[in-house]
Amino acid sequence: MTAPNPTARRYRPPAPLGGRRRATGSPAGRNARAWAFLAPALIIIGLFVLWPMLSALRLSFMDASGFGREEFIGLENYVTVFTDPDVRDAVVNTLWYTVLFTPTAVVSALALALLLNSPRMPFRSFFRTALFVPFVVSFAVAAFAWSYLIDPQVGLLNYWLRGLGIQLGNVLEDPTLAMPAVVLVAVWKLFGFYFVIFLAGLQDIPTSLYEAARMDGAGPWSRFKNVTLPMLSNTMAFVLIFAMIAALQAFDQIYVMTGGGPYGHTQTLVMEIYESGFRKLDIGFASALSYVLLAATLILSLVQFLFFGRKEKDLSS
Amino acid sequence: MTRKRILAGAVGAALAITATGCSGGGDGGGPVELTFWHGYTEADGDVLQGIVDEFNAAHDDVEITTELKTWASIDDTLLTALSAGEGPDIVAMPAERLPVYADKGAFAELDDFYADAESNTANLNPGAVEMVTVDDTEYGVPTGFVPLAVYYNQALFDAAGVTAFPQTWDEWVAVSQQLTVDEDGDGTPEQYGVVLPDHATVANGLWPSLFYGNGGGIAEGGEAVIDSPENAETLRFWSDAIVGDQISPTGVDGVGADELFSGGKAAMTVGGPWMASIATENSIDYGIAPLPAGPAAQAASAIGVSMAVTVDTSRAEQEAAEEFFSFFLNDENAVAWSLGSGWPPLRTDIPADAVAENPVVASLTEIAGTGQPLLPGVVNTTDVLSAVDELTQQAVAGGDVDALLAEAQTKVQEALDE
Repeated sequence: MTAPNPTARRYRPPAPLGGRRRATGSPAGRNARAWAFLAPALIIIGLFVLWPMLSALRLSFMDASGFGREEFIGLENYVTVFTDPDVRDAVVNTLWYTVLFTPTAVVSALALALLLNSPRMPFRSFFRTALFVPFVVSFAVAAFAWSYLIDPQVGLLNYWLRGLGIQLGNVLEDPTLAMPAVVLVAVWKLFGFYFVIFLAGLQDIPTSLYEAARMDGAGPWSRFKNVTLPMLSNTMAFVLIFAMIAALQAFDQIYVMTGGGPYGHTQTLVMEIYESGFRKLDIGFASALSYVLLAATLILSLVQFLFFGRKEKDLSS
Repeated sequence: MTRKRILAGAVGAALAITATGCSGGGDGGGPVELTFWHGYTEADGDVLQGIVDEFNAAHDDVEITTELKTWASIDDTLLTALSAGEGPDIVAMPAERLPVYADKGAFAELDDFYADAESNTANLNPGAVEMVTVDDTEYGVPTGFVPLAVYYNQALFDAAGVTAFPQTWDEWVAVSQQLTVDEDGDGTPEQYGVVLPDHATVANGLWPSLFYGNGGGIAEGGEAVIDSPENAETLRFWSDAIVGDQISPTGVDGVGADELFSGGKAAMTVGGPWMASIATENSIDYGIAPLPAGPAAQAASAIGVSMAVTVDTSRAEQEAAEEFFSFFLNDENAVAWSLGSGWPPLRTDIPADAVAENPVVASLTEIAGTGQPLLPGVVNTTDVLSAVDELTQQAVAGGDVDALLAEAQTKVQEALDE
């Protein structure tokens, strides 16, 4: 076999710190050692992820309450999932939430990342930190804080808007405004994460590409469209998938702020799962609904992944 | 340390984590140990603790430990705790939640206990017992049963010149209008005559009370009866009063109602005995009155609280819990609990003068007989109550009452048929 790349022959890996040590012991011993190192993670994943998932899968075929009384009912729970009008309403609400949340969060994160990536921007580090802070705050805390801000009686936001002559009213009890309100809280809370990912993606784009584009006479919009966006397509896929998953799993702030109300207008799928499982104690049905949601999330993620994966290939060819 | 030991240690740690999930029973030589979850967070909690302490002192073979939680967190954690084998042995909860758990097999049957003459259950308020009965079997012992009542702010009544408490719905609306004040004339009153929540009302009982008052109902003998001309009339009457006459803010829930009353922004609220202590805390001079009578009847839905024995308890634990229940209901403790908690006595054979020293209890005891249990015999109270909530919230928001009632009828019937 000839060496196709002469540099590869010259390369020698640096010696590990503390001097070189040879792998000792029999292959079986090495195997055991590998397992020992993996064990903590495997045990935690097995105990807290895999085991509950398998239990839930089993329960989804049962008429079960969680108190020990179980009866195998085959696919009945799954049939209910696809025929129940409450589930249908929850699907519509969840899709509406996703449509409101995903573009808003992604576009605002990208816009701010572009703004704060520019070296001319003053106080860049301060703004970068400030934008990330909401992501660190617990969702429940953020939801309580926002509930107070938009409260019609004591809310600061309502007070200011009244000063501008805008009557917002009782937003969380308003069937058309309640959903945008809970989406807004999610955007505020989560977009900092997407922002940081975009920022990292932007910093990975070689400046030479922009220089070349500028030489070719590309304006700011053209540079954004023809350099930034294509180069960000992996990042974009990641952020979009994460944002969509976050939207499909919307629960925390809705539980705190509206409880699914007013009259079911913010009742998302996860709220429905919670209500079936913990209010109506129908754990079997809740498990089946969870699995259907999992499958839907997986399929949507795969579709996005394939879509963006192909784009990436187009660019390289 | 050898590799094998590391591995063994990791597995051992995992086993230890799982093993802690299994708590010990009372099978050893020591006393039977019982955990008791309840949500009595105010002065009532101290009185309950006193009764438990006395019981423990009098019984060498039983030790009850109370765990104080909020009612909401009991409801949120009971399922997971019981399925992990870490749940309480005795648990108190809102009575309308009990059938949901009982039907799913979470609680031990108590019919033998009720049949026992020593159990002190013979003279319990029948409405209270109805709320803990599922398919003719008792699954709980009531710890509270009181009809919703109007708590009013005496100072605001005096300021508006209201001298007599309203006796009928029309008078109620008229007095509420008199008490509603829009000082700056911006169309939003600063003070409301009354606060009538349109969803998640106190013990879910406000709208059922109003329905009963006009001769309507929600469910009877397994049939939905919510879509009735009486209920349509009731919804229209109160929507007109709330939205048209602005006697109450809209879009408020039960908790919001308590806050508006304690903040002096509403002259009347429909609530439970705890409003008395909330009013005192906020220096509000308050009065208590029965709900004004509707065209058909003076009626009020009752707030019920009950306690039950969970299903994983051993025979000995269940007997010990029953021993405690009869102790809780004996002559002395029935009076002590009533006076301390501010709720009327649960036993109808307790004479009124036994609780006369507490004026709140005395006035609630007078109306205790008028309380109607909420959805007796209904198992899936969750869906029925959320159908009622959706109905009232949309009706007050201006929805088509007839269409909403038809929709609620279907949902309630579906829940009853499950």
